[in-house]
Amino acid sequence: MSTATPDAPAGLRTRRIRPLEQGTLLILGSAAALSVLITIGIVFTLVEEGWGFWSKASPVDFLTGRDWFPVSDEFGVLPLLSGSVMIALLAGIFAVPVGLGSAIYLSEYASPRARGLIKPVLELLAGMPTIVLGFFALDTINPVLQRLGLVDKNQIYSYLAAGLVVGLLIVPFIASLSEDALRAVPRSMREGAYGLGATRRVVATKIIVPAALSGIMASIVLALSRAVGETMAVTLAAGTQPNLTWNPFDQGQTITSVIVAVSKGEASRGTTIYQSIFAIGLVLFVVTLVINIIAVQIVRRFRTVYN
Amino acid sequence: MATTAAPQSSAEARPLARKKFQPAEVAFEWALRLSIALALGALVWLFVSVLTEGASSLSWDFLTSKASSSAARAGFKNALYGSLVLMMITVAVAVPLGFAAATYLEKFAPMSKDELRVIAMRRQRALEHRRGHGLSGIRLLLARIGVAASRVWATIGPPINRIVEVNISNLAAVPSIIYGLLGLALFVSIMGVSKSLLAGGLTLAILVLPIIIIASREAIRAVPSSIEQGAMALGATKWQAVRSQVLPAALPGMLTGTILATSRAIGETAPLIVVGGAAYSTKVPSLNPLQAGDQPLLAMPLQIFDWVERPQETLWGPLAAAGILVLIGTLVVMNLIAIVLRNRFSRSW
Repeated sequence: MSTATPDAPAGLRTRRIRPLEQGTLLILGSAAALSVLITIGIVFTLVEEGWGFWSKASPVDFLTGRDWFPVSDEFGVLPLLSGSVMIALLAGIFAVPVGLGSAIYLSEYASPRARGLIKPVLELLAGMPTIVLGFFALDTINPVLQRLGLVDKNQIYSYLAAGLVVGLLIVPFIASLSEDALRAVPRSMREGAYGLGATRRVVATKIIVPAALSGIMASIVLALSRAVGETMAVTLAAGTQPNLTWNPFDQGQTITSVIVAVSKGEASRGTTIYQSIFAIGLVLFVVTLVINIIAVQIVRRFRTVYN
Repeated sequence: MATTAAPQSSAEARPLARKKFQPAEVAFEWALRLSIALALGALVWLFVSVLTEGASSLSWDFLTSKASSSAARAGFKNALYGSLVLMMITVAVAVPLGFAAATYLEKFAPMSKDELRVIAMRRQRALEHRRGHGLSGIRLLLARIGVAASRVWATIGPPINRIVEVNISNLAAVPSIIYGLLGLALFVSIMGVSKSLLAGGLTLAILVLPIIIIASREAIRAVPSSIEQGAMALGATKWQAVRSQVLPAALPGMLTGTILATSRAIGETAPLIVVGGAAYSTKVPSLNPLQAGDQPLLAMPLQIFDWVERPQETLWGPLAAAGILVLIGTLVVMNLIAIVLRNRFSRSW
């Protein structure tokens, strides 16, 4: 179709104009364009619905305040931000080694049969609703932590329990994305290393992992962005009071769990508390967006292209 | 080496001879095994703990009884009906939009500036040809608009399409609770829809739309271009080739992606709480999606959340666990349907 020459005989080249077809294409294109509208809608509503909030709390107080007590008009985002970061860190400490180990095992060690068995189970874990994981953390993991003496006997919530299940949630994410990156390393590199007498471990750690590093890094960064945005496990298991602390055995709230806690209480439009969830929603949106952009940049900057 | 067949996968490309026992090698392999075991073991632990707590409450009565403030009589019927209606709305809204967007992005958006220019030129020529055969009045005007539009599109189209591409992959990474805030502001606060199944269903539809688009695009991409080119060589227009050849071949894959996206929507809790509050109602929602505008927002994960949050844990915990079993059961069934669909209709080209 791109080879049509302008001076070809007119009788052969002209086609019927098909207005219906052009209309159909227009509809298909509009459906695709709708996705841009969704993004604009997200940014617009977060800014517009939260607008009144900034007159109650100055952005400086908001970003540097160490207390979040809506009742007494104290809106400092630091305890919520630290909670979200804490969850992401705890999840990462558990999920990065486990996810990466699983990825290396699946890509370099597992027999096709083992892969066929393990991958669907990991997919099942990836599709697990987060409320299930929250229940698991609250009902099973935290009591175990209490019995181990890590968490106080009277404390039914803890960052650690919530962080562990969020870690469990992002393990399949890291595993499958990293495995894709590892498998994309060409066979010739493996064979070359084996030919020089390298052992399996050396091939995996010195050849394959460095070659796939950009993909692995991106998978970890994306997984951490998920952990920051994770809601239900944190709502159920991390705690009910904002708490500026770096003690993983303590309890506290995150940006997402505050949004849920406020929404539960039927905040009506126009009140400061209603506006505040859009303000912290905007913070969450910006944070996850920045993390995702970092992931894209990592892939773009460090990717090695093999032919 | 020459007599052995080439290794099938990277895992089999191993050194020819076993060397002497190397502790580091063995330790490394067992560390990898341990990481897999940790992930799978945690999943098993989760299942066992939910099963032991919930199995005793799981019964036919549990599925068919209404919600109640007494733990002994409380059931899951409201939640089941609510989730069913939510799914109907989500699928009805997100699937047509998602399929249309995927078709456009995969088949029509990648056209380059030059290709679009050729199309515009051809339309121009067709117009002139037809003017010679007495095209006039409103139809001439429409045809002229069409030609002008395709000229403009040849310039602005490719960059716009690139923006849409980037945008969709970004949307898929937005936390689900943000979609909840969008739904609350857009549907409830601005458009005045009540905090109902309708508002929840529309929110979930927006949430799964990027997932459906991405999955459907993969399915369409898997159909080899020779199919489309064959149809076009026989005189079909691009749209005719796509509609009657490519889309039917891609349909099983698109449906598989849709089922997986829907199964994600079924488990979503946070956006529904943000849109509707943790509503508690003993009313069983009507199954007619057209009445969803005034039905209370109830769903399986919301009911589970309500039970988990109640103070007397020994009373409500088993109910929550039973509800989780039903939820997981639903997801497993949907995933099995998707797998069967994929295996039954997948074709190797």
